[in-house]
Amino acid sequence: MGQIRIRAATKRFGAVTAVDGVTLDIADGEFLVLLGPSGCGKSTLLRAIAGLAQLDEGQLELDGRDITHVPPRDRDLAMVFQSYALYPHLSVERNIGFPLRARRRPRKEIDRKVTDVAEALELTELLRRRPRELSGGQRQRVALGRALVRDPGAFLMDEPLSNLDAKLRASTRYELVELHRRLRGTFVYVTHDQVEAMTMATRIAILSGGKLEQVGTPTEVYDEPASTFVAGFLGSPPMNLIRAKVSSRGRMLFAAAPDINLPLGRIGVVPETEVVLGIRPEHLRPHDSRPGIEGIVRLVENLGAEEVAHCDVGTARVAVRGPRPLGLAPGDPVRLAVEPDHLHLFHPTTGRRLLWQDDPAPSPSPRNDATEQGVLA
Amino acid sequence: MFVEVPAPAVVAPPRVARPSVPRRLLRAAPPYLYVAPALALLVIWTYRPLVQTAQLSFYSWNLLPTSPATPVGLDNYARLFTLPAVGASVWRTLEVIGGLLPFTVVIPVLVGLLTQRIQGRARAVYQAMVFAPLLVAPVASATVWEWLLDPGAGLLNKILGTSTNWLHDATWAQPAIIVITGWHLLGFAVLVVAAGLANINRDYTEAALIDGASRGQITRWITLPLLSPTLVFLVLMTVLLSAQWTFPLIDTITQGGPSGATTNVYYLLWDYSFHSFDAGLGTSAGILLFVVFGLVALVLVWLSEKLAFHDN
Repeated sequence: MGQIRIRAATKRFGAVTAVDGVTLDIADGEFLVLLGPSGCGKSTLLRAIAGLAQLDEGQLELDGRDITHVPPRDRDLAMVFQSYALYPHLSVERNIGFPLRARRRPRKEIDRKVTDVAEALELTELLRRRPRELSGGQRQRVALGRALVRDPGAFLMDEPLSNLDAKLRASTRYELVELHRRLRGTFVYVTHDQVEAMTMATRIAILSGGKLEQVGTPTEVYDEPASTFVAGFLGSPPMNLIRAKVSSRGRMLFAAAPDINLPLGRIGVVPETEVVLGIRPEHLRPHDSRPGIEGIVRLVENLGAEEVAHCDVGTARVAVRGPRPLGLAPGDPVRLAVEPDHLHLFHPTTGRRLLWQDDPAPSPSPRNDATEQGVLA
Repeated sequence: MFVEVPAPAVVAPPRVARPSVPRRLLRAAPPYLYVAPALALLVIWTYRPLVQTAQLSFYSWNLLPTSPATPVGLDNYARLFTLPAVGASVWRTLEVIGGLLPFTVVIPVLVGLLTQRIQGRARAVYQAMVFAPLLVAPVASATVWEWLLDPGAGLLNKILGTSTNWLHDATWAQPAIIVITGWHLLGFAVLVVAAGLANINRDYTEAALIDGASRGQITRWITLPLLSPTLVFLVLMTVLLSAQWTFPLIDTITQGGPSGATTNVYYLLWDYSFHSFDAGLGTSAGILLFVVFGLVALVLVWLSEKLAFHDN
């Protein structure tokens, strides 16, 4: 069991609000990734769940039990630290067995469980060693073993892969997903790495400035980013965000900016409206018969399998990503096309995603909350 | 036809002329030149006197430039082992070391653990206050303590309602010297322990908290083992320097008395050399002390190396 409910969690450090009114439900068995740039409050939120930081406001529940003021040792959670925090004076065996020893479990049980965990993580050969005699990957596995040894309510992980080299990180990612599938436990995983988030998470919670920007499956947050922040954070290169104006010509809607003129593929009538137009680099097609964007190629990057072309379009910079060769060279004029389905619109000041409502039915209670999804009137 | 892709070209290493010998010497010289003044001072003020001490320990001399030093072989060392005062002073030195350990290790660790959670400005103020006694000159504090412990008008006797002559009674003089020295050193030791505690990565404590350890378990299983190199350092300091730290107090207050009750080895060898003017006996005692304490230091340094946990 491991259902975590976070209600309006707020944590302040002096004048800085590190976590700002976050409300989040984490279901039992979920692999939830807290994603965001450094300083977004994701680690503070994890430490608050662990009990290492006390919330200033809000409530925490684990399996229906209020744990807001419960000390960390009584919360039934396990945590893997970014530094691994392996006790340097204890052998691998004692490190893994520590949580059981602290709970005064019988010796036999400790030995049996440590042996089991060591076997599962391929640490049996290393049980007598001290942490300083281990490689980075082995230390990471010992830290994981210390969390696994006592079947906790949920596993908390604070950037556990950031100290590994790229190759090991990729294979460990796979192992963690396997582990989650096997244990069916609740994982709360903090990272700033979007690849880790996209590949491992069942759901991603994206934080910015202590506030929750969007919660959703990897597909949802990538395909339908709820704000310009999410759109600009995910993807490599991230979504192109261009200031544009939406207006209707005849009964068709168009988005326009200098050197950009794109049909939105919708029928409707709106007054001219300022928006932020978002297009993923991989959705832009050069050499198309129906171009909507005209620009000049400034730089082409070779990524091996793909190429990224950076183009000047009007006053904006637009990245185009596609299979190599793209057939573009710096200095070339370029015409780009995009499917209307792949266009995203955002509010120019709040940055929230704009949705189209076919029927402008009079809503009974008009909402003015800026954090709600906007509606293009 | 298939043609193999050639490997990157391998070229014979070109000959590069090495700089001339004088130029290489000039380049290598600066670090040694920087060290030279310190090294010269060490040789003049420490190593040369040490060698001279060793030489003098085989002579009989009364420190008068007009009287000759006569070689006596190992006689001085033989006398040391027969003089009853030497054995007694060694025992008193051990008493001083044992008596100071609570002040330099036990109390500082307790205070360090209890005050660990004092943070910010309060911590700086508290540490400054605790450290202050070390800044008081021993001779000045000796005078103040003489007033406090005076048999007639002393504050301690007034509080206890007694008239004990703390500093000049054979039973109490040695404990009094130990307590006063302990008072001097306590603040320094507390700071060393505080620095040692601050050096322990907070992640360990936090990991142990989540792992379910109680405060007591964390102290016993995590904090104290990780603090042990600091503790060995403090023991080392106490063992090697206790007798020296007591010297200014003994010399100003008791002069080794009453009836030798506060004469430890340092005071004894000073007494031999500069009260009895027996340079041979003083220096041979000094050399013996140097060798014994050197061995003790080696053992403790080895122990602290063994206990140090290099974490990263």
